[in-house]
Amino acid sequence: MSEPGPPSATLSPPLLRVEHVVKRFGGVRAVDDASFAVERGSITALIGPNGAGKTTLFNVVTGFQHGDGGTVVYDGRAILGRPPWAIARCGLVRTFQITKALAAMPVIDNMTLAAPHQPGEHIATLLVRPRATRRREHEIEARAGELLETFGLAAKRDDYAGTLSGGQRKLLELARVLMAEPRMVLLDEPMAGVNPTLGGKLLEHVHALRERDGTTFLLIEHDMEVVMGHSDRVVCMAQGAVIAEGAPEAVRNDPRVIDAYLGGGSA
Amino acid sequence: MSESADTAIRPGRERLDRVAGGLGGLGGAGRGPLLVTLALVVAVALVLTIAYGLHDVAQRGVNGLVSGSYFALGAVGLTLVYGTLRLVNFAHGDLLTFGAYMAFLANVTWGLPIVVAVLFSVVVTAALGVLSERVMWRPMRGRGAGLLQLMLMTLGLAFVIRYGIQMIWGTLPRRLDVDVTASVSFLGLRIGRTELIVVVVGFVTLLSVGLMLRVTSLGRQMRALADDMALAEVTGIDTDRVIVATWIFAAGLAGLAGVLYTAAIGTMTPNLGFFLLLSLFAAVILGGIGNAYGALAGGLLLGLAQEWSTLVIDARWKVAVGFAILILVLIVRPQGLFGRGERTA
Amino acid sequence: MTVFAISFDALTAADFWIGVGVLAGTYAIFTLGLQLNVGYTGIVNFGQAGFMAIGAYTMGILVVRAEWSLWAALPVATLTAMAAGVLLGLPSLRLRADYFAIVTIAFAEIVRYVAQNARGLTGGNQGLLGFDDQWLDLSDTILGWLPQAWQDQFLLPLLLVVWVTVALLTVLLILLQRSPWGRVLRAIREDEDAARALGKNVLAYKLQSIALAAALGAIAGYFLALNLSFLSPESFEPQFTFIGFTILILGGLASYVGVALGSLIIWTLLEVTRFIELPLAAEKVAALRFVIVGVALIVLVAFRPQGILGKKQEMVLRE
Repeated sequence: MSEPGPPSATLSPPLLRVEHVVKRFGGVRAVDDASFAVERGSITALIGPNGAGKTTLFNVVTGFQHGDGGTVVYDGRAILGRPPWAIARCGLVRTFQITKALAAMPVIDNMTLAAPHQPGEHIATLLVRPRATRRREHEIEARAGELLETFGLAAKRDDYAGTLSGGQRKLLELARVLMAEPRMVLLDEPMAGVNPTLGGKLLEHVHALRERDGTTFLLIEHDMEVVMGHSDRVVCMAQGAVIAEGAPEAVRNDPRVIDAYLGGGSA
Repeated sequence: MSESADTAIRPGRERLDRVAGGLGGLGGAGRGPLLVTLALVVAVALVLTIAYGLHDVAQRGVNGLVSGSYFALGAVGLTLVYGTLRLVNFAHGDLLTFGAYMAFLANVTWGLPIVVAVLFSVVVTAALGVLSERVMWRPMRGRGAGLLQLMLMTLGLAFVIRYGIQMIWGTLPRRLDVDVTASVSFLGLRIGRTELIVVVVGFVTLLSVGLMLRVTSLGRQMRALADDMALAEVTGIDTDRVIVATWIFAAGLAGLAGVLYTAAIGTMTPNLGFFLLLSLFAAVILGGIGNAYGALAGGLLLGLAQEWSTLVIDARWKVAVGFAILILVLIVRPQGLFGRGERTA
Repeated sequence: MTVFAISFDALTAADFWIGVGVLAGTYAIFTLGLQLNVGYTGIVNFGQAGFMAIGAYTMGILVVRAEWSLWAALPVATLTAMAAGVLLGLPSLRLRADYFAIVTIAFAEIVRYVAQNARGLTGGNQGLLGFDDQWLDLSDTILGWLPQAWQDQFLLPLLLVVWVTVALLTVLLILLQRSPWGRVLRAIREDEDAARALGKNVLAYKLQSIALAAALGAIAGYFLALNLSFLSPESFEPQFTFIGFTILILGGLASYVGVALGSLIIWTLLEVTRFIELPLAAEKVAALRFVIVGVALIVLVAFRPQGILGKKQEMVLRE
């Protein structure tokens, strides 16, 4: 790892703390007493064999599934049990394993949709304050244009998102998340199905954002090269539990982690 | 994980039984809800008995079983089609209408004996079901039609059947050549002779249907398909054959239900099936969608609930009682009394 | 052999086309609500006839039984329909689309049963009348502004008011749909979870969508009532919702302009069939009209699901 850790990491409390979270499906504990923390401004990788409960944990943290126990503290607030949209508004925004590009909407609408503080999203303020709506819309469109430029999607601005390639959709989804002005981004397998060139670009964007805005990233990733080369910390799950947490090298050499991958069969 | 991988490579009967057993719901792990439901029915009957006397409760209970029998017959086909093809068939009620008018055609227009007319009606309605599968549903499935698309097409088909019948026979109520005035008394309860026959035919059919679904391999395959089509395909079921069998079964029973309804009520109009459709949906949802036994139980429960409600409130509201139950079940327990799994988005 | 004959006299008569126009306008408003729900939010509302009934009957009851002014009754009745939409949606919008469709049709049927059976309030099957005196006064006034030659067309004012309303509502809905609010609705139609993940309160938006559709249903109900001068439960049978869906698919999902077009085509078709002289009783000719609707619905959905003006890229029907 070439970059130094963010300076504030050791001084302030972690941005996200997951404590003893449990999620059951029938008799199966998909997430079993999982605890870990994500430092402010870090890039943390969440790894583990298939079926380890990583995506389920994402779902519980972001409110898409109800947790059956434990607490999740984000920026000093307990968020477990709050609805997904409320959690997203706190600045904790996620992507999905299977990209959710809104196919029948133009790329630009995908982007502008995500921006917060648009008074025109509420029917009352839309009717009462049309000018504020328009002003904010100009800001949003300008920001969306910049981001599309940065992500190399400017030419696709007015195309339906459904016409984009798989890799472009991943880029769009990341760009869209950034429109939401997040302080922490949860990426579920951002590299899956993306060619290496685009993947490299995506990672560049992640680093740039962390440097510029101090955005915190937690990403589920299977590619060990990506994990080792780009994350500050690694959390490893197996069978619903967190079995190791720490610096990438340390986690990679942890016998429990090696055991989990060999025992689980897939990586 | 490893357990399911193991069973996945062991197709055939065992696997199928597990799927179908889970679907059946009233067997194995599903016995709890059944007992609770039975206890609830007994409790309601007791409370009503204390309030209104045994005779009234029993008499309306008998009436409830009469309507419950045609509700159940109609609902079982609706639920199998719904479960198997993910087709919310708004034309199912009109299959009942079609069945009733086919019986009218044979029995009154052609003067055939009622038994022959009933058989004719069942066969022709089943044929209509298969025809709709071949002409509409199979091609649309092939094109990957969406839920709303299919729902709207069933609505269109419902219009064509219902108003096609109205074009031929008009809106005047029609009667079958059966005696609806004679009645028999039993333990002080009165039941029309035709109604008695309806209940007997209805229950014998329901029992045979239940038995057929449990014992025969075709029945098990139908239930398995209604529960999980992808899984059933993996286990090597000839889905196309089972789908056609499901239509024969669903439409044939709908035809019979239409005739029984007409026999019990006395008259038929082109609206009878649509009028019954929401009650059938209520029975299906009570029992849990795709659950054939659930639909049978749901139909009987709905019949009892509607008739017993007339003790408490005016009889003209009894149909609305069925709709209210439908909405209540969907909101409180959308998986149905015997269902499992999530029915929310 | 002249089995079929169309009496062209009737088809060239102005009052025939005025009647068609009023019906088409009324159901265009009705279907605008469906468009908002189905085409732009992805909610399968099969209970639009129920909202129409709530609006129309609340208006009728307030005027006839409570002796309110018609103009005061209209906004209150609209709010009542909207409240009904919220009450229906709150528990049931969480359900899957197919279940929601069944719940809404059951709701509409309950409303119709109440209209049929709460005779003291609604007049039951006998119907409710006497709510349109103030409208008739206004209608006469409007008629007075029109050229002398048109004075004998007493439905002309209603036609004008209906279509002015259709135009205004269409423009309003197009503006709403182009606003950030409409953008959120379309995102919900596409993928609820994506909208949630971006901080949108999906249930709140769906409730707004259904409440607005209910208001549109109610407004259509007023025009229906003024057209017939009479309210009876028959006018709110579920098949009217499905005629609305036929209009919707014909005009094209996700196209507000298509709604007016679809409504004009469907009602012209339905009314013209009245004048095909078949050797059939009136009830059988009436049945023929619905057979046509059924066939149209099947053929359209199967072969041209994007309708006349719908966009193929926004083909919400197929997913």
